[in-house]
Amino acid sequence: MESGKFEPTILTFTCNWCGYPAVSLTGLHHLTYGPGVKIMRVMCTGRVDPAFVMKAFEYGADGVALVGCRMDDCRYSEGNKRAKERVEALQKVLRYIGLGESRLRTEWISASEKDKFHDLINTMSHDLAALGPSPMPKVTTEEQPRFNKKTIDALVGDMAAHNCVECGKCTSVCPVAKTNKDFSPRVIVLKALEGVSESLSKDRDIWECITCEMCNSMCPYEVDYSGFIQGVRAEAFRLGNEPECSQGGLLNSMMRIMAVTEKQDRLGWVPEDVKIAEKGDTYFFVGCAQHLDAVFFDRNLNLVKSSISTIKLLNHAGVVPVVSNQEVCCGHDLNWAGDNENFEKLMDRNLEAVKNSGAKRIVFACPECYRTWKLDYQDLAGDLDYEMMHVTEYLAELAKDGKINLEAKGKDTVTYQDPCRLGRHLGVYEAPRDLLNLTGVEIKEMANNRDKSTCCGVSAWLTCGNAAKQMQIERLTEAKGTGADRLLTMCPKCRIHLDCAATKQTDVEKSQLDIPMEDYITYLANRLGL
Amino acid sequence: MNPEKGKAIGVYLCAEGGEIRNKIDLESLAEYLRQFDDVVDVGIHNELSSREGVDYLIGRYLEKKLDRILIGGAVPAIQGMVIQRSLSLAGMNKYLFEMVNLREQCAWVTPNKKEATQKSKSIMLAGLERIRRLVPLEDVIVPVKNCVLVIGGGVAGMAAALQVANAGFKVYLVEKEKQLGGRAYRLETTFPTHNCGICCMAYCKECIFTPKIDEVHDNHNIELLFNAEIDQITGGFGNRHVKVKQNGESKEFDVGIVIVATGSKTFDPNKILAYNYDKNKDVITTMEFVDLMKNAEKSGIKRPSDGKTPKTVNIVLCVGSRDQSHGNLHCSLVCCTYAIGTAKEIRRLQPDTEVYVHYIDLRGPYRGFEEFYNEAREMGVQFVRGKVAEIINDDGQLVVRAEDTDSGFLLSIKSDLVILAVGQEPSLGSDKLSKMLHVQTDVDKFMKDVNPMLPADIRRGVYIAGCAKGPKGIRYSIDDAKSVATEAIEILKTGFVTMDRIAALVNEERCRGCGRCAEACVFKAIEIVEKNGRKIAQVNELLCEGCGVCSATCCNKSIDITNYRSSQIIPSIRSLILEVE
Repeated sequence: MESGKFEPTILTFTCNWCGYPAVSLTGLHHLTYGPGVKIMRVMCTGRVDPAFVMKAFEYGADGVALVGCRMDDCRYSEGNKRAKERVEALQKVLRYIGLGESRLRTEWISASEKDKFHDLINTMSHDLAALGPSPMPKVTTEEQPRFNKKTIDALVGDMAAHNCVECGKCTSVCPVAKTNKDFSPRVIVLKALEGVSESLSKDRDIWECITCEMCNSMCPYEVDYSGFIQGVRAEAFRLGNEPECSQGGLLNSMMRIMAVTEKQDRLGWVPEDVKIAEKGDTYFFVGCAQHLDAVFFDRNLNLVKSSISTIKLLNHAGVVPVVSNQEVCCGHDLNWAGDNENFEKLMDRNLEAVKNSGAKRIVFACPECYRTWKLDYQDLAGDLDYEMMHVTEYLAELAKDGKINLEAKGKDTVTYQDPCRLGRHLGVYEAPRDLLNLTGVEIKEMANNRDKSTCCGVSAWLTCGNAAKQMQIERLTEAKGTGADRLLTMCPKCRIHLDCAATKQTDVEKSQLDIPMEDYITYLANRLGL
Repeated sequence: MNPEKGKAIGVYLCAEGGEIRNKIDLESLAEYLRQFDDVVDVGIHNELSSREGVDYLIGRYLEKKLDRILIGGAVPAIQGMVIQRSLSLAGMNKYLFEMVNLREQCAWVTPNKKEATQKSKSIMLAGLERIRRLVPLEDVIVPVKNCVLVIGGGVAGMAAALQVANAGFKVYLVEKEKQLGGRAYRLETTFPTHNCGICCMAYCKECIFTPKIDEVHDNHNIELLFNAEIDQITGGFGNRHVKVKQNGESKEFDVGIVIVATGSKTFDPNKILAYNYDKNKDVITTMEFVDLMKNAEKSGIKRPSDGKTPKTVNIVLCVGSRDQSHGNLHCSLVCCTYAIGTAKEIRRLQPDTEVYVHYIDLRGPYRGFEEFYNEAREMGVQFVRGKVAEIINDDGQLVVRAEDTDSGFLLSIKSDLVILAVGQEPSLGSDKLSKMLHVQTDVDKFMKDVNPMLPADIRRGVYIAGCAKGPKGIRYSIDDAKSVATEAIEILKTGFVTMDRIAALVNEERCRGCGRCAEACVFKAIEIVEKNGRKIAQVNELLCEGCGVCSATCCNKSIDITNYRSSQIIPSIRSLILEVE
């Protein structure tokens, strides 16, 4: 604003019945407030999708408010209660990602309580003036030109796409092609080879691929399809073709914000009884389990337990890992959504964080973070001078050197879901199995195991739909069919998506696929009594 | 995302007689709006909701062959409605109208003109983004079956039933007891008028106020179902399928409107152990005292235990009311009145009998109360301020213990008869019924009536009358029932209602049929059904209230509220935040 005074931009969602009239009444009484306060009317605050709030912050809002009816007065019975729950979860996320929970506030009032609305806005404006503007730049009318470093031609070369002989093997093993007759990896390559760049700005098919790399593993000419898809998506994104993400794009907005903010809170989950350090040889790249737990607050997945168990296992082996608050999301999902610019920002911050720790080795629990560092970061930043391994690979190594005691009591039978990222993408199949065997667990393998393992159906929040549901039902049925006591998942995404299908599908009888599901790392730690 | 081109949008700014013009540079705003390709006409007018203003708009709409109109003016609900209605009469689809509040949200709250103008650009742009993505719709015409279900045959139920029946519509009156009249039937006199007054069940040809039991029985339009309870009510507005259990048998029928008149029940004094209600025959409730009074005119008041005439009577107020630990927090409104009335009756019949009324406050919200209370004092009723702590039996002698808070003395009064003025609670089964009909209950567990300012269609054809929605006196229950019946008759006479189309819509290709939306919907408007071999969500438009909780819950956004879609809201959010040049 021209006066030089910071006028916070506060996007205020108001419900149609109490919030909006209160705003009008405020105006009627000429109670003034800052010009940055903008009102968005919805029928009920229960309509306010968490993605709307995060999108507002992504666009550069300094604050967001929800103004709805008093708790017992919702015109739709409980919409405001849903809104309240979502806001509480969002406030946690805002704290974690460094924007701060005080930027999101609520007020539950009756239509006549103009003073309460006015006080909320003024208090918020005052607090935000002290807190300072959001670190996210405000969007401008001019769409910033998006860029993509690689042209399609360069992409074709890099991914060996010109090797494609149209044999169709990729399509025949593609799990998406099985349910979606219009989808074919081969055809996507063909379109690009024919130079139809224009269609990329409109093509929706490119978002259907689940990047499981089943095609890669089968292609006789070693065409890198998944790499190709990523490149094509980056170009499409540049041309304004954006995917329709699950959760309304909430997660992607969070990641874009993490690329910019300073005052994150990523370590609140670390319990008292584990040992971590700020500097050391081994860096544990944690990832975003905490954030996912907040977003999926009603699913009780406790993904953070996996991170805690990783540290416990490392401590058990005498290793005190570096766990850093400077870390940010690895950016895996942005990468696969074609948002190269923000992906690189996240990468730069992570490279900095690990460098500052002095570590020589990076250990990962999340297969997606691991793949992203090992393949995608090194693709962009060149060879990184770190030994990168999954925690199971590291523990297996330590076990061989006698540094960790893997004795456990009692027998158990499990079946194991090889994640795409750890399995086909990185070739790590045996370490997780060896560790289980060493603790006395019997593995009852699904027929489709190791490089044949079927994907959980959803990649980077892009592909949740009926094809995914079919895959999930088939996979869970297969898991149950092994007769194992439980299904172990290694990847938080597998966990989220398979759990969703297990608890919320309505196609088949629950008994067909109700095998108990657990996180592998937590399970392992439990077996060792940690 | 590029907005769809080819939709001719007209944008008109209302100066509101200077209220907006003084604070916002409308010429600058108009200039800003003209830059957009799909805005084919921009105009400024002094008062758009005036006759002249509406004519102007209709003129522009027709001349420029507009598809949709965006107004920058005042409050959409008032000014906007006027304009929208006129434009729809001129042929514009009413759903393609949008109004941005430049007055209350900008001009009147932003002192600096430059800042206000900048803000106006931002919010008009958001309105533009929204109107671009609006979809033309037609209102739904919902036929309403021309008969009514009245649940409950007490005074409210009877009053409502008679009113509706007399207007010519069929009424099913379901009553769980074997006769009509509810609690009021047992009363001989009512207060404060001490006579037939407003509602007794005696048959007096001259009386014009009360709903008579005989009248209800005689009315051909009323079908009475005694010993009957509601088993299930399904369906939506205008057509509800009702299942009734009567004497073990099932009876089913369809109605258009439901009037809930289930009344209230009295508080069970056994919940207050210190009053020893069940241990003493002479500790009774006011309703039980009414029964004692039936023969009192002739033979005097006789107490239950030994038939002796009581020489000391204590009336205890707030039994189960204003009592969070043993009963209900709410005040039952009528107890003070009827307790004082009871006291007066006793004094009238037996001037030698001492009557004490133990109270915390004396509350009489109704006309005539002060006079009534003064009369009672003149008649010698003794009012003692202090809640009764316990009623004990000391070797056959009832003793009432309370503090007289005015004097500070602790009282132990030897009593011959204790009358407990019990409060009101929602009747049995009211909870189940409210869930069945999606009626909310308030903090005191009584049913909540929808805000009376909201249009009829929002009630979805369910009305609450009488004590079912909170304690009240007889006269007020009847008045309430009559006003409810009047509203219902309005709808029945028309035979249909028009409902707006703000409802959830399922993208059937994308929907996984996971059921999260169905679980989240408190109106049970979503079902998971099988279609083309797949499970998907299906919305019952007549039950959908358009709140959007389902849309926010859906993981892959395959259900969305028409005209409040994510794809509309997000571009508007962007417009509200961006820095306008």
